[in-house]
Amino acid sequence: MNAWIAISPLLLLVGGGLLVMLVDAFTKERNDLATVTAATLFLSAGVSLFALLSGKDPVDVPEVFGAFLATDRLGLFFDVAIGLGGGLSALLAGGYLREHGLERGEFYVLVIFSAFGAMVLARATDMLTLFVGLETMSLGVYALAGFRRGSPRSIEGALKYFLLGSFAAAILLFGSALIYAATTHTDFAGIGATVAAGDADIKLLLMGLLLVLVGLAFKVSAVPFHMWTPDVYEGAPTPATTFMSVVVKAAAFAVFVRVVITAFGDDLSASSAGGWPPILAGLAVVTMVYGNLAAVGQTSIKRMLAYSSIAHAGYLLVGMAAASVVGEKAISAVLFYLMAYTVSNVLAFGSLILMGSRGREAVSFDDLAGVGRRHPLAALPMVIGVLTLMGFPPTAGFFGKYYVFSAAVEAGGGFVWLAILGVLASAIGAFYYLRVIVAMFMKDPVPGEPVAVPMRSGSVTAALVISGLLVMDMGLMPGSMLDLAIAAAEQLFAG
Amino acid sequence: MEITLGTFLALGAILFGIGAIGFLVRRNVLIQLMSIELMLNAVNVVLVAVNRYHPDNHAGQIFAFFVIAVAAAEAAVGLAIVIGLFRLKKSVSAADANLMKH
Repeated sequence: MNAWIAISPLLLLVGGGLLVMLVDAFTKERNDLATVTAATLFLSAGVSLFALLSGKDPVDVPEVFGAFLATDRLGLFFDVAIGLGGGLSALLAGGYLREHGLERGEFYVLVIFSAFGAMVLARATDMLTLFVGLETMSLGVYALAGFRRGSPRSIEGALKYFLLGSFAAAILLFGSALIYAATTHTDFAGIGATVAAGDADIKLLLMGLLLVLVGLAFKVSAVPFHMWTPDVYEGAPTPATTFMSVVVKAAAFAVFVRVVITAFGDDLSASSAGGWPPILAGLAVVTMVYGNLAAVGQTSIKRMLAYSSIAHAGYLLVGMAAASVVGEKAISAVLFYLMAYTVSNVLAFGSLILMGSRGREAVSFDDLAGVGRRHPLAALPMVIGVLTLMGFPPTAGFFGKYYVFSAAVEAGGGFVWLAILGVLASAIGAFYYLRVIVAMFMKDPVPGEPVAVPMRSGSVTAALVISGLLVMDMGLMPGSMLDLAIAAAEQLFAG
Repeated sequence: MEITLGTFLALGAILFGIGAIGFLVRRNVLIQLMSIELMLNAVNVVLVAVNRYHPDNHAGQIFAFFVIAVAAAEAAVGLAIVIGLFRLKKSVSAADANLMKH
């Protein structure tokens, strides 16, 4: 019985996914599907949030799940992030698919089952669960990316994502096979114990670790494994892009945390001289610098947001690298950042969806010219969205950056330089984020070009209101979310 | 020559390398799919061989079954995307998917 309760957020998604498939077969009203999908994902997030807030220790059922699946606070925390991000994406899809003539029920089924894979991935404590969760999530997302079958861009994005994604998965898998060869363990705790006891073949182990890190860096789109990100984000239908940028990123970082802390938290792999901290710090530097610089020159806002998501992966990697010194503090900062990033990114992409109507999407800066003066209320969510991605107080994004960089400063040594570089890189970010506001309020539309007309959709409005409120809530009162993140990080290090 | 675990690891690494090179060099999507299959099978060789030399549990062999099953699912999605590409471009070459530049 306890086992059912422990994984109830995942079971809810499975039930909801099957229900959506049934409803899809018997109804013509696709709007209901968006509501059912969002309700399922929100319910799953709500159950997890309730369990987190109750303060009781999550039920531990090792006799059922063994070392394969974690039922800890970290898992619940990511259930909340994934359920929230997925549910909001489904609401956005409810308006977008109807407006652009793409209404097919598969979209919602894929969203739910991918979110399920993401939750499994975030709870993975064994290389096997990691692989199965990763593929369950990714296979759905490949299909979502190519959902607009008639569009060469959508198919091209899906193809690039699929090819590079499976290539990266194969590399990650070979890495875990080498780790298995070095330690004869596939579970993270067993790997950690064998390495700490000195029984592991160090050469094979380090090679395996390197390959696993490459695979994970690909999934979180860290430079130089980011090549797919701009093309896939641009080609995919915008709600699918939203889903990718929040759910996939959150789940990939969740398992990233588990791998480096649980499996490679020993003194040798986590030393600043060798092992993963210098690798992650290096990735963080190039990712922050490249992501921000490349975003400056973009003419498409969708592509700009793709590079911005690369830059955010860089800031998160700063926190991950700092976790080798100030473990709990850095990990809780990363968790808070991911939650803030989830709501901020939904707000930004959702506003972009809101600006397009009747088959005509708003994607470039020119499309948004003058929208702010003609439709000030519709421009408001976009303004808050770019401000929070920029890290402007008092929004969720500000505290995310603040916690991550202060953890890096506390870690001392070279990590202080990482934090300084992060702040400088965010300053570049201010330039291209503010350009969106400038385009909306200070530019006039090109004469003769059609002007953007915001769509009217209850579900898109609902998604924007929810994410906007959460952005402001986490910006004005970050304490309650931070407490949840700290509790999750503490349990990870204790267990 | 004596067959040791190292021999199997070397075989796995060689197969994996051939697959990786094939993936990077060839532009035909179907060949790239086959190369990925080769890489996954290299993983299976390593997993099963390590399990043979450390038979206290069966994690490696079970893992190999999962890899085989997931590889099949992956191929299904991949081929669907290739069909989508072929419908639009009348080609299965990754070089023809070039609308968006980095």
